[in-house]
Amino acid sequence: MPKVTIAQNILAVNDTVAQEIQQMLATRGIRTINVMSSPGAGKTTLLERTIERLRGELGIGVIEGDVETTADAERIEAAGAETVQINTRGACHLEAHMIRDALAQLELTRVNLLFIENIGNLVCPAAWNLGEDTRVVLTSTTEGDDKPAKYPHMFAASQVMVVNKLDLLPYVDYDLAKARRQALAINPRLRIFEVSCRTGAGLDEWCAWLTAFVHGDSNTVCKQSYSSAATARGT
Amino acid sequence: MHELAIAQSIADAVTTRAIACKASRVKNVRLKVGEASGVVTDSLAFCFEMLASFDPLLEGARLVIDTVPHRARCRHCELEFAIADFVAQCPTCGEWSTEIVSGSELQILDMEIENP
Repeated sequence: MPKVTIAQNILAVNDTVAQEIQQMLATRGIRTINVMSSPGAGKTTLLERTIERLRGELGIGVIEGDVETTADAERIEAAGAETVQINTRGACHLEAHMIRDALAQLELTRVNLLFIENIGNLVCPAAWNLGEDTRVVLTSTTEGDDKPAKYPHMFAASQVMVVNKLDLLPYVDYDLAKARRQALAINPRLRIFEVSCRTGAGLDEWCAWLTAFVHGDSNTVCKQSYSSAATARGT
Repeated sequence: MHELAIAQSIADAVTTRAIACKASRVKNVRLKVGEASGVVTDSLAFCFEMLASFDPLLEGARLVIDTVPHRARCRHCELEFAIADFVAQCPTCGEWSTEIVSGSELQILDMEIENP
């Protein structure tokens, strides 16, 4: 029986679109962050607090991914950012073609920082490049300190970890040092921020990092590398 | 998990190539899947066979999956070792500065076809 060589990365189509998105955004001088977490960790709240603090100095755009509803896009718009909502109608992660379509609807003229809020899920979103410059995984004290060890792929694929709901530490059995240790064992270069979106603790450091990231400070550059991702996948 | 979406990508790539080769039927499709790619190979095979059953060209096609271990090389003592649970610490010198050697692969290698 004839054998035909294919030698193709399985996610080649997604990676090609992601690369096109990254180049388009780079040409426009837009820095992009893919924000991932489990449902309820506080992605939308973190973005609301961030927009309120930075809207005077940065042009912020948000692509909101949810399975259903436009509730989050309405919250983000009220906070003062350009927003497009993607409803995946069941799909558990965003893919690059969804971002390409959403970008066509987003007014980008004044945007220099774009957030992509992924579907609440610590598993699938890690596998799909969206054209982002960097990936932030958000976790919270109410979820338990074992999330990095239980979902290592997500923490290995991210460059930044934000721990939210610090204000609840006195009421939950969450060991911050253990979560940090586990996350750094999986990804020694992970940059970690500890915040409370409710009290505002830690948000100054987070926003200072974002500002430096947008202005291309080399200490903040922890770029998603598509070429190395492709090499690792064997293409 | 996202195995159905990945199975669909495989079915699309294989179909495109099979049509280009004027194949009448696709048989075994060989993949290389890294241990750390986040893909559950049993689910992937199940999803692929389900998709294949809808398409006369792919009907009966099976995935043959070569699993690639997650391994790293220590930048300090150059030992190559197996990574357990994503923790890439060198077992001999305790160094964290390691280079991932394999485990993220997600590749279609080849397929067997029948010609009319």
